Amino acid sequence: MGAFNTIAFKPEYCDGCNACMTACATAKAGNSDILNSRIQIVADGETFELAMCRQCADPKCVANCPAAALAKNGADGVIEWDGTKCVNCLLCTVGCAYGGIVHNAAVGHVVKCDTCDGDPACVKACERGALKYHTTANIYNEVGDLEDLFVPGLAGCQGCNTELIMRHTMRRIGPDSVLAAPPGCIPGMGSVGYNGLTGTKVPVFHPLLTNTASMLTGIKRHYKRQGREVNAVALAGDGGTADVGFQSLSGAAERGEQILFICVDNEGYMNTGMQRSGCTPFGAWTSTTPVGERGKGKTQDAKNLPLLMMMHNCEYVATASTAFMEDLYEKLDRAIDASKRGFAYLHIYSPCTTGWRFPSAENIEVARKAVETNFVMLWEFNPRDGLRLSRSLDDARPIDEYLNALGKYRHLEPEQVGHIEATLHKNVELIRGFAEGRRHAMA
Amino acid sequence: MSAVLKPKSKAIVCDGNEAAAWAVTLARVDMVAVYPITPQSSLVEYLAKFVADGKLNAEIVDVEGEHSVLSVLHGGVLAGARAYTGTCGPGLAFMFEPYLRTPGMRMPLVMSIVTRDTLTPQSVWGGHQDAMSVREVGWIQMYCETVQEVHDTTILAYKVAEHRDVMLPVNVCHDGNYLSYGAARIELPSQEEVDAFLPPPSTNWHAALDPSRPMAVDPLTGGAGGPGPALFVRYRKGHCAGMQNALAVIEQAHEDWARIVGRRHAPLVESYRMDDAEAALVTLGSMTGAAKDAVDAARERGQRVGLVKVKTYRPFPVQAIVKALSGVRAVGVVDRSVSFGWNCGPLFQDVIGALHFAERRPAAMSFIGGLAGADITTDHFGAAIERVQALAQDGVVGETVWLNERD
Repeated sequence: MGAFNTIAFKPEYCDGCNACMTACATAKAGNSDILNSRIQIVADGETFELAMCRQCADPKCVANCPAAALAKNGADGVIEWDGTKCVNCLLCTVGCAYGGIVHNAAVGHVVKCDTCDGDPACVKACERGALKYHTTANIYNEVGDLEDLFVPGLAGCQGCNTELIMRHTMRRIGPDSVLAAPPGCIPGMGSVGYNGLTGTKVPVFHPLLTNTASMLTGIKRHYKRQGREVNAVALAGDGGTADVGFQSLSGAAERGEQILFICVDNEGYMNTGMQRSGCTPFGAWTSTTPVGERGKGKTQDAKNLPLLMMMHNCEYVATASTAFMEDLYEKLDRAIDASKRGFAYLHIYSPCTTGWRFPSAENIEVARKAVETNFVMLWEFNPRDGLRLSRSLDDARPIDEYLNALGKYRHLEPEQVGHIEATLHKNVELIRGFAEGRRHAMA
Repeated sequence: MSAVLKPKSKAIVCDGNEAAAWAVTLARVDMVAVYPITPQSSLVEYLAKFVADGKLNAEIVDVEGEHSVLSVLHGGVLAGARAYTGTCGPGLAFMFEPYLRTPGMRMPLVMSIVTRDTLTPQSVWGGHQDAMSVREVGWIQMYCETVQEVHDTTILAYKVAEHRDVMLPVNVCHDGNYLSYGAARIELPSQEEVDAFLPPPSTNWHAALDPSRPMAVDPLTGGAGGPGPALFVRYRKGHCAGMQNALAVIEQAHEDWARIVGRRHAPLVESYRMDDAEAALVTLGSMTGAAKDAVDAARERGQRVGLVKVKTYRPFPVQAIVKALSGVRAVGVVDRSVSFGWNCGPLFQDVIGALHFAERRPAAMSFIGGLAGADITTDHFGAAIERVQALAQDGVVGETVWLNERD
């Protein structure tokens, strides 16, 4: 199966200007009557809905068609309509749940989006960024062919982002790997196993919380000595990385050990009951920074772990988010490659539905808001090019959009929000300084 | 003298740390992790130099602390390496977390403890308190008397550790200052002899992290339900069985060493002038030399006194101790460390525990000396012999005697 693109719609950026529909009608019908547009934006109370062909993988319109006039193109994924075969029965319109194929009175037959041969006019017309032509499907189609190296039914919390990270990263890294899962949610959900059973298909082990990078050092060194190419990989929580695990991590990074160390940062000791870690941000509720008459959450800022790792002049350091999977996969590829030459460190932010107190269905949205408000900044570093931004820090959304999404910030008082904003501003300027070469990033 | 030397074996003068480094080299160790600490430092310096000079073909990993020293070796062993390191005192304390885990994972690595008294009071000098503090963790511990024994035991230790009936880590304990820096003439076996004694490690029968045969190493085990309780007992019991199996394996390894290299050391306990002895000293480590001299002097005075040196301390050779001491009326155990819980020496505790199984139980008392680098002289041992002789006559067990109390 090929890799397919989709037109994605973000209603929160849409103001109902109709520019997309006008552009489509112009491109497809030669006039500006939005009734002829293959994309329809429909007001729904305060927000907007999209009626348009999704180019489904399992298209009901195609299944319903008795005349074989509709078919999914295996090359680009677009569902094509053939007017020479169509019998105008309209059964296809009954099959579609998205209003993606409809009868057009002006031409007397059904019409649907053909993505303008991969250069959709509607997306170009949208000035507010509500429409995007995404290549996300590329990744999912590609990794879909790779073996999931964990068993089904890991016992993570509902909507766990960390489980998603585990499955995606190991899929790409592949089976010629030894995986270290120090104590935390990652082994806690059964990846290493229990009483003789295991949840992982590659060699996997519990290091101590303290010695992940050191144990991987020994494994990698001996396989190298034997001339064997084996990936030494860590999937570690932020506590095992930033706090008690930091000494061995720093030592391995300084020595340039050929390890791929992935920190899954959920900003605390979530597996043991949501205690504070060095990566817990200011103001956050945790079970050891509780909120009460005097307590108002954590009183210190988080340590900037990826920046600390950059200062080790590692072969590769990057931050990533599951809300930006194309970016995550590109960084994963570069990290895997870099780990064959030196120390590669990937810091993936992982919102925790249980510990951060938000509905499990909103995990990716929370991850996205963290990035769009600059609370999380996506960047990468290598010793030759220094730090480069993966995503512009300009035009950030207000921090409230992120804070208000999370129960762990529910108690925040205005001065605490002020502190968070000020810290955010400083952090943005710091990273921007590295990115623009005003600060020296060990290059 | 030269007539007994085999071709290519040679005599050198070196201290115990260099003797251990030569042993590691001859044992063809794959991986050495290094972090310096007094009085071990010169040992790892020798190893680093041997690697730099091409004498030792091993991965040498210079890490940021003892915790990582042992952790790196854990990784190496799980990938199939023959691994070595050495430490002592505060370094041993710092590596306690991975140290605790090493025998449970049945990792056959060898680590020298260049023994040093523990903090605090602040001290950098020899004493057995560090090694004694980890005596119940499940490692094999062997204590050396001489520089030659340090060398030979360090090679022997791999034969024991890697034996499939044992599969446990071994501490070769050699006394800080006295053996680490004390130089003596020793004979190095030839590489051919060591190769004949010690075949390359086989990784096929222990836990491994190898993509060609994936397994989960050390998943969560135990709990009150399902297979947990029985599985956990199986691991613990297996560990204890491995320790007990080690007694016979240590004896066989020493026998093989004597056959191939032509040098014999007592594997578990050494009985010195114990025929017809009515009183005995029990010693551990380098103090034994001075103690033997004191025994010789007492024998010349006509006193019926002997000595039992404990070589293998963990597993504790209960039967060998009972056999060695069952003929005497009084035993004086000399420790270079303290059991705070019992106000005596830890070896003393073990000896009187073993003597519970003797048909005729001798009276026993505890001597503590040589703490933090203090010397236990022949005079000290002479006084101890007098005290034990008196005990043999009157059977009145006194308080623990602190040998250096008035030095």
